[in-house]
Amino acid sequence: MNDLHLEATSRTPAVALDTGAGTLMMTGESYPEDVTGFFATLTGALSSFFDSGAESLNTEIRLTYFNSSSARALMELLELLDDAAAKGAKVNVSWYCDPDDDITREFAEDIAADVSNASVTILDLDVE
Amino acid sequence: MEFDRFFKFSQLLLKDEFVLSYSGYVSEDILLAVGDTLRERLEDHARDGAQIRNVFSIFVELMQNIIRYGVEGPQPGPEDGEKPSFGIVMVAENETNMDVIAGNYVTVDEANQLVDRVTQLQTKSPEELRKMYRERLRSSPDERSKGASLGLIEIARRSTLPISCEVMPAHNGLRFFMIKATV
Repeated sequence: MNDLHLEATSRTPAVALDTGAGTLMMTGESYPEDVTGFFATLTGALSSFFDSGAESLNTEIRLTYFNSSSARALMELLELLDDAAAKGAKVNVSWYCDPDDDITREFAEDIAADVSNASVTILDLDVE
Repeated sequence: MEFDRFFKFSQLLLKDEFVLSYSGYVSEDILLAVGDTLRERLEDHARDGAQIRNVFSIFVELMQNIIRYGVEGPQPGPEDGEKPSFGIVMVAENETNMDVIAGNYVTVDEANQLVDRVTQLQTKSPEELRKMYRERLRSSPDERSKGASLGLIEIARRSTLPISCEVMPAHNGLRFFMIKATV
C-alpha cells in the first residue's frame, strides 16, 4: 500500500494519505475539471489501503469550497469509508465547515446521517 | 464593430454597477480565469464572506451548466475540435444585492425542460430544497436525466431570492435561455 500526496491546485484540494499513521487530510477547494478522475485517484488509494488490512483511518476534511460535482464525489468517498468501517476498520471523520456556510454544514450533516458505521464529527473551520 | 454599436454597448452597462461580465465561448479554462477575477472583484464589492461564497458558487454552477448543456452561438466556434458552448455571464450589483445572470443557446426541448425545472424550484422552501438536494445526490445515473440537476438545486439554495428564468427565440430555431439568481 502506498501513501498518496497531491499538492493543492487552484481547483483541487491538497490530499495526504499517510498509510503508516492511518491518516487522510483534504485541505483547500474542490471544483476539478475532471472530478471523476481526481476522486478516482483517492478512492483507488483508499481501497488498496483497506484491502491490505488497515485497521484504522482518521480523516480530516477542511474544504472551504466545493462544487456540486465534488459534493457527489464526497458522498461516494464517505460511502467507501463507511463500507470499510462496516468490515471492521475503525474510521473517524472530522469534517470542518466554515461556520458562515450553512449549506455546506447542512450537506455534511445530511451525509453524516447516512453513515452508519464510521464516526463523523462536524466541527467549525477556523477562518481568518 | 462600429463605434456607434460600441457606444450603445457602453451606455447599456452604465445603469448598474457591474462587478464582472463575460461573453463568448465558455470552457473550463475560461471558468477558472473568469472565476479568479470574479473573486478579486468581489473582495471589493461584497458585503461579507458569505456573499462572496454564494456568488462564486452560483457562478461556477452556471458556467458548468453552459459547458455541459450549451450549444454553439451565432458565430462559428473555435476549430480545436472541442464542442464550443457560447454564453454570457454577468454579476451586477444593485442597491442591496448582487444578481448573477447567465444566458446561453439551447434547443427548444432543452429550453422547455429548463423552464419547467426552474419553475419547480421557485416555490420550494430552503428545507424542501435541502431535501431535494439530498435525494438528487443519491439518485442513480439513470435517474439523473430527469428533474433538476444537482447544480441547479445548488444555485436555488444559494440564491436569497427565488431564481427566475426567461427564454427568447434565437437563430437557427434555437432558444436563448436566461437564468438569474440573487444573493
